[in-house]
Amino acid sequence: MNAGMWLAVMSVALGTLAMRALPLVWMRRRLRRFGDEPGLDAMPPWLGVLGPLMIAALLGVSLAPQRQDLVGWLATLVGVAATLIVWRRTRALGWPVVAGVIAFGLVVIVARLWG
Amino acid sequence: MSSESIRHNSSAWLTGLREAIPLLGGYVPVAISFGLVATQAGFSTWEIVAISTLIYAGASQFLFVGMAAGGAPLWLTVAMTLLINIRHVVYAPNLAPWLTGSRWWPWLMHGLTDQVFALAHTRLPRIPAAQRLGWFTGAAVLAWSSWVGGSLLGAVAGEWLTHRWPLLGEVMPFALPALFLALLAPRFTSFRWSLALGVSMVAALALTLSGLTSVSIPLAAACGALCFYAVRHRPRIAGGIGS
Repeated sequence: MNAGMWLAVMSVALGTLAMRALPLVWMRRRLRRFGDEPGLDAMPPWLGVLGPLMIAALLGVSLAPQRQDLVGWLATLVGVAATLIVWRRTRALGWPVVAGVIAFGLVVIVARLWG
Repeated sequence: MSSESIRHNSSAWLTGLREAIPLLGGYVPVAISFGLVATQAGFSTWEIVAISTLIYAGASQFLFVGMAAGGAPLWLTVAMTLLINIRHVVYAPNLAPWLTGSRWWPWLMHGLTDQVFALAHTRLPRIPAAQRLGWFTGAAVLAWSSWVGGSLLGAVAGEWLTHRWPLLGEVMPFALPALFLALLAPRFTSFRWSLALGVSMVAALALTLSGLTSVSIPLAAACGALCFYAVRHRPRIAGGIGS
């Protein structure tokens, strides 16, 4: 990379860090203004709503299968079902993920064996 | 620092590390792809490691190397890459109520990717305040190092790996939707929330399938927010059914 490209990399790196860190500095000042016991009440209500909705959007993006054919969608559906079933039983974080990946993988493997 | 607090911090660090393990399923295959794509675009191994270490933002890194290799003006490359990352501005304020007074937090936000945010947003409120810094550091460091390590692996042996184990690259990324699902499931607590979350999810999926991946997260979240507030402000019709 030449000097210009390094400058571009550093600009993107600093810009991204600023976008991640500066809003925190702003929010901490706002929370401090609310006194010794800052909490959720000090947060703008729209911000508290946006957090879970961003996670839901991330889920939507990640659900789009790499291969958009019957196998890809079926594997996704089975993986989602397995994740939810195990989550209902365990209410944990790790096991539902393991179950989802295994179920997803089994559908892909079976499809390959049949194909 | 007492030996008791050191023990607490190291156990919190390890808990964060353990709870971030599902992220690796999504990070490593994508990082390997990034290493491979960047090598093919003409970047050297150490340049790729530097990009992944310093920028540390998946989609925008792909865009950066793609535009740079395509000969786009550097100012435009920088502007477009930053534009993709703009959604990150709402992440840290959402975590702020659960962050302690440590001066390390703003610097640790370098590790606040989409996935780390989703994990931290669910887990931090359930962790004792004294352990939050350690927990976040452990989770963020594991995610960061897996991204950098995966990029290095992709740059050095990406082609060989994708030929040798194509199935692994196809199956492991499902760890990310499975993790998001497990994080989100407890939030379906009312009709209002279920509708808003469902709309966000379906809108993001539809936008991604239409090729609008880069704007899908903020747009879909905005759609969900509209639904959330529309349900709240729905006017009641006097004398109507159920009134």
